[in-house]
Amino acid sequence: MLTIENLEVSVEGKPILKGLSLTVEAGRVHAIMGPNGSGKSTLAHVLAGREGYEVTGGSVRFGEEDLLAMEPEERAQAGLFLAMQYPVEIPGVANMYFLRQAINAIRKARGQDEIPAAEFMRKVREQAKLLGIGEELLKRDLNAGFSGGEKKRNEILQMAMLEPRLCILDETDSGLDIDALRTVADGVNRLRSPERAFLVITHYQRLLDYIVPDVVHVMADGRIRRSGGPELARELEERGYEGLLGTRLAA
Amino acid sequence: MLAIKRTRRLDPDPAFAATFRALAPRLPGSADAALARVRAEGFERFAALGIPTRRDEAWKFTDVARIANRPMRPAAPVELPLERVLPYLLGGPRARRLVFVDGRLQPQWSHTGGLPEGVIVESLARAAETRPVALAEALAGLDDGRSFTALNAAFADSGAWIELPAGVVLDAPLQLLFVATGGEPPVMSHPRCILRLGDGASLSLLETHVGLGEGAALGNAVLQLALGPGARLEHDRLELLGPASALLAKLDGSLAAGARYRQTTVVLGGALVRNEHEVRIDGPGVECLLSGVAVPSRGEEADTFVRIHHRAGGSHSDQFFKSVVEAGGHNAFAGKIIVHKGAQKTNAYQKNDNLLLSDDSEVDTKPELEIYADDVKCSHGATCGELDAAALFYLRARGIGAETARALLIHAFAAEVIGRLGDPTARALAEQRLLARLGGGLDPALAASVIGEAA
Ligand SMILES: Nc1ncnc2c1ncn2[C@@H]1O[C@H](COP(=O)(O)OP(=O)(O)OP(=O)(O)O)[C@@H](O)[C@H]1O
Ligand SMILES: [Mg+2]
Repeated sequence: MLTIENLEVSVEGKPILKGLSLTVEAGRVHAIMGPNGSGKSTLAHVLAGREGYEVTGGSVRFGEEDLLAMEPEERAQAGLFLAMQYPVEIPGVANMYFLRQAINAIRKARGQDEIPAAEFMRKVREQAKLLGIGEELLKRDLNAGFSGGEKKRNEILQMAMLEPRLCILDETDSGLDIDALRTVADGVNRLRSPERAFLVITHYQRLLDYIVPDVVHVMADGRIRRSGGPELARELEERGYEGLLGTRLAA
Repeated sequence: MLAIKRTRRLDPDPAFAATFRALAPRLPGSADAALARVRAEGFERFAALGIPTRRDEAWKFTDVARIANRPMRPAAPVELPLERVLPYLLGGPRARRLVFVDGRLQPQWSHTGGLPEGVIVESLARAAETRPVALAEALAGLDDGRSFTALNAAFADSGAWIELPAGVVLDAPLQLLFVATGGEPPVMSHPRCILRLGDGASLSLLETHVGLGEGAALGNAVLQLALGPGARLEHDRLELLGPASALLAKLDGSLAAGARYRQTTVVLGGALVRNEHEVRIDGPGVECLLSGVAVPSRGEEADTFVRIHHRAGGSHSDQFFKSVVEAGGHNAFAGKIIVHKGAQKTNAYQKNDNLLLSDDSEVDTKPELEIYADDVKCSHGATCGELDAAALFYLRARGIGAETARALLIHAFAAEVIGRLGDPTARALAEQRLLARLGGGLDPALAASVIGEAA
């Protein structure tokens, strides 16, 4: 589904991703772990199409398409979703209005009719309830004044509503209390299906206890340095990055 | 050597005098000597004051002569089909209203029935017959040194006389709708409204200025407000002009102790829309909240000029004006808070936030404080920024196209003011016009239905 080959990305002339390769197949959950500043969010942003990153080498294919040639909205319409590490607060844009705009934009791009109002409401209520999001939060402006945990839940709500093919979660677990972590993980697990793939960026083994990955990658200095099964995450927990990779990591 | 006179005033175009001579015998109340004299004096005053240029400090940012100092004609009666004005009839089924087209009352669309005893709602032409002396006094009573106010006194053709006696609360809104059809030479109209609220009286006023079509027109409006002790006025103003029309609106208000005045002005369209506010706070416990948003683009100019006089202490005023300027638009804001000597315990705030969306657009802002008392809380501030790139990306990353995402964010910025419109129908019309202006295919019905269902 997603094929990244030798991706090189710079920010303001400074190389961040230095030849990163990664293949994610449909139905699978890949976890990416790596020290602060190793380039995890950069990878997530480049995949989602955020401006300010210069791709200096390599390629990314999403299904049959050249992902890097697409606009951010086209990527989303093609089924890519990024749950952001720092969801943006947008006062003045109502959460529900935004969500319905997003769903309809995606449906329109796929040649489908707009979602009927009643169906939309039913689905939103159902998903919100599962994620422990109150009516009050739904009525508020998009992420405006949301707590850290509320923002993360709202990201998963959007993910559930937009039904993407590829879900990228950038530290969705950070800032969540233990119960919320469970709720959010359950939300992700409900979405697991043979057609859908996940790229889960996290610092903590705990999330991977709930969302059990098929593959774990360790990223450092802009590259995937090791890949393995779920046991790699546990090994990492015990030994730390330097112990695992056997090198001193530049700060 | 050539002497170049850097003049602050220009002589009015001779067509004004010719038009006034021709029209004076037919203006409302011309049969009344006192009124006729006040009109003639108004015209003389206008001629003496001349048309301000940008060297006049009060007109520093916009060139009004370009628009207002040329031959114009008073309007001839026009027949408009109802569907042209229907979208602008606001306030719901119980609203009362006076509708004017090119300075003439349209009785077929106006109605003011069922008013409580003692309430007066009359068109200006009617007031010129029923109370010529009072009208003459009112016209003569406002000499603010402003040439367009004097011009309005001379030509006042439309508008209204509105009075609520003490204690009367009108629960349905009152709309004053001014429609201008354009043409060449431009059509001018001069609405004058006099509004007096007695002690504790309360009114929701919807003032709507609409330009139909592409033709040129000039509206020169003056509104004189007097709120008695504890009176309340909720004043929603929509100014939706055509690309060649202009509106110069002057508001002169005095607020007695405990009065509450909330005004929200939304400017969507117009070659030049100038809103002047001069409000005097004459007692303690007054709340005066002025908000506005303008969205000038493609050569349009919006100019807001505010003077708030705290002449008594213990009152609160707040100015909150925004603009969204794009594609060669120009927004100007000049606001001043004057806290007079002895007006202690005054709270006065002023904020002007601008969204500048293209390099060829322009924003001028001049917030000022003049404080002659020592125990006050006053602040002012101005900002000028672009759309938030992180927010744009966030929306696009959810599948929303760039143009729609942009429209959503601009709407969000403007909606903070539009949301202050007290009347839901006024709010809906402003929303609809804003979204149409922004493009991006945003559907106002969708917003309404989602909000409706969630509520
Ligand atoms: N806009 C930017 N300008 C300058 N440097 C940047 C920018 N974005 C990222 N970087 C740098 O790129 C490097 C990688 O950052 P990135 O956010 O991808 O790390 P990360 O792996 O997600 O870290 P964390 O675990 O702390 O979230 C860091 O050194 C960061 O400072
Ligand atoms: Mg990160």
